[in-house]
Amino acid sequence: MILLERIGSFFTILLGLASEPLNLAILFGSVVMGILFGAMPGLTSTLGVALLTALTYGMDTSLAMICLLAIYVGGTYGGSYAAILINIPGTAAAAATAMDGYPLACKGEGGRAIGLTTTASAIGTIISMLFVVSISPLISRFALQFTSFEFFLLAFFGILISGTLTSPDLVIKGWIAGLLGLFLACIGRDLLQFYPRFTYGIPDLESGIEVVPVLIGAFGIPQIIGVIKDRFQIGKTQKLQRILPEIGTVLKNIPAIIRSALTGVGIGAVPGIGEDIAGWVSYGTAKNTSKHPETFGKGEIQGVIASETANNACVGGAMIPLLNLGIPGSPPAAMLLGALMLHGVTPGPMITFEHPNFILEVAAILLLASMAMWVAGMLLAKQVVKVLRIPTQVFMPVIAMLCVIGSYSLGLNIFNLYLMLPVGIICYFLTTMGYPIAPLVIGVILGPMADENLRRALMVSEGSFLPVFQRPVSLILFLIIVWTIASQLPWFKRKLSAIKKAVFKQSL
Amino acid sequence: MMDKDRLRKADIFSGITFSVLGLYIISQAVKMPMKGSWGGVHNVWYVSPALFPLLVGALITLTGGLLVRTAMKEVGFEAVKQVGRYLLSPAFSTFLKQESTIRFYAVITVLVSFVFGFVPRVDFFLSAIAFLLVFILLFYLEDARILMKLFRFYACQLLIFLVLFLTPLHTLLTGIIPYPADILMLGFILSFALYAHGFCKKNDLLKKKYMTGLIVAVIAPLFIGICFKYLLLVPMPFEGMVIAVLDYLWYL
Repeated sequence: MILLERIGSFFTILLGLASEPLNLAILFGSVVMGILFGAMPGLTSTLGVALLTALTYGMDTSLAMICLLAIYVGGTYGGSYAAILINIPGTAAAAATAMDGYPLACKGEGGRAIGLTTTASAIGTIISMLFVVSISPLISRFALQFTSFEFFLLAFFGILISGTLTSPDLVIKGWIAGLLGLFLACIGRDLLQFYPRFTYGIPDLESGIEVVPVLIGAFGIPQIIGVIKDRFQIGKTQKLQRILPEIGTVLKNIPAIIRSALTGVGIGAVPGIGEDIAGWVSYGTAKNTSKHPETFGKGEIQGVIASETANNACVGGAMIPLLNLGIPGSPPAAMLLGALMLHGVTPGPMITFEHPNFILEVAAILLLASMAMWVAGMLLAKQVVKVLRIPTQVFMPVIAMLCVIGSYSLGLNIFNLYLMLPVGIICYFLTTMGYPIAPLVIGVILGPMADENLRRALMVSEGSFLPVFQRPVSLILFLIIVWTIASQLPWFKRKLSAIKKAVFKQSL
Repeated sequence: MMDKDRLRKADIFSGITFSVLGLYIISQAVKMPMKGSWGGVHNVWYVSPALFPLLVGALITLTGGLLVRTAMKEVGFEAVKQVGRYLLSPAFSTFLKQESTIRFYAVITVLVSFVFGFVPRVDFFLSAIAFLLVFILLFYLEDARILMKLFRFYACQLLIFLVLFLTPLHTLLTGIIPYPADILMLGFILSFALYAHGFCKKNDLLKKKYMTGLIVAVIAPLFIGICFKYLLLVPMPFEGMVIAVLDYLWYL
């Protein structure tokens, strides 16, 4: 009965949103902008969401969410254009797509590949939307049992796992990046006693570090410096033919699409792990389960479908922890969290009480965005490809200007710029030295939650850590954290492999 | 990202930097109230504002140290000596003069001067046009010789602005003529555009690139600025000469 009621509410919200011409105009405009952002190598969906956050400041929450989710969905999908047509992923999320997409384009099947990825991406988003609707109430209800210890451990786990999985070099660098984010979150007056920490008498630091300028700086500035310094050039674009996909091919690949969507949702739901990892894991799974793995990398349509379905399904997956626990599932979701806070919506277990229809609204927007993405993909693909001809040296300065005006317009504070640029330059150096940026950003966002909950928990237990071991959820989280750390220690790895060998020998 | 060997060498230095940062965080955190009363609240260690920074500082020190240890295990102390020798060798000064290094200085200078110098003091439209013009022409013409000359020209112009802003000259001029910084910026834009044109006039490809740069540098700030200022009602960081004219036209 409750399920039917929810389905009813969902369709009422969906129709309400779709019946407003302004909503539809913003939806299509944002999806197209997202596709353009995703398609341009050097620009990412995270940066797209970051820059658009400034524009949505004056809108009502519902319209702002349409705008931001549409650019997120469009941006994640748009990366496939550059990956397929010029062998350079427009976004990191489309890196796996290039493996088979470009060989397909070289064979003269670029249009077919884009048509199929568009359809697969739309299906992936819709499947992830179903998970947002169905799983969210369960997680939300479960999270209501959480006490401060669980929230502290969850925030800590989010930073740790993000550092572990996104580090391109040593895992410890991912952890350091996360800890740096936590340090940045310490700046300002503390939330319990209002004591000024690391403010150095600067009034602008009293209220703490503004999240959005930090995000714009962390994701935008390194990209701009890197592209300009390394003289990044866009290669010759392959031609596009028929884009509309054959129904037969889509139906034949439905099991692969569903499997990839599930992979995407699962990875998206892990805090701080982005669409790029979802794309690679799904691609690897498709290759390993294929009867002809040797065709992968040579223009296998399943490879393209696997990565694109998963990276778009990751969008919905990332919404699950974001909405129910207040923990972003991916870097663009971190940006969305900042935007939601600006609009007075605090995601977390209480969201179903404070904004009862908000999760259904997000799901409805995801559904509309996936449909708009499909339509825009089919109608505008040949036009969108033209943006790949714009030289990077021309659009990157414009993006830099947008970063500046975007950071400033949130709060109309010039100090935001003084924060954005140094953070961006530091992040450029960190990226060059193999430190991932996502954990730093997750650290900045989850820092206040970790700080406040740690102290609140200890206040309740009067300084005792014993409740961590007495409460099942916190104990599980604690053990996962210990396992995640221990699994990176060389002696633990040696012991583990020795145990595995011994067990294996015995069983033989 | 760097290659593995260079990464490990860099890890030694970044690890040390982070360990020092961690120790600094701890040193600042211990000054925070751990007991006694702050703002009417009786403190105990577990509600102290120092608790979280202490934890973070300790973890940064520890992970920074572990990173140094891992890197040293791989490349050894010899790598530190190698880096020291490299910094003193002619190879390092060659590196500093490489085109990619100059591109790096140039992009940082353009960004820093725009954010810290022009945005808070000069009309946003003018400073954005100057920023885009310099940024696009420095790199889009794709000629190391032109890049160097334009960069030097820009650096000289920056010096003039530094003199204007860091001395009482600006206050003095404001009393005599309206918008002195904006007028100077307008002069800078025109002189930079003319100077860059000198390098492009004999080459059709460069001339085409120059025109593209010029058009984007003027159109983009006007379009974006007008959207923010008049449609989203966001006041610009500094409103001067151009915004006064636009205000007059918009509210006519």
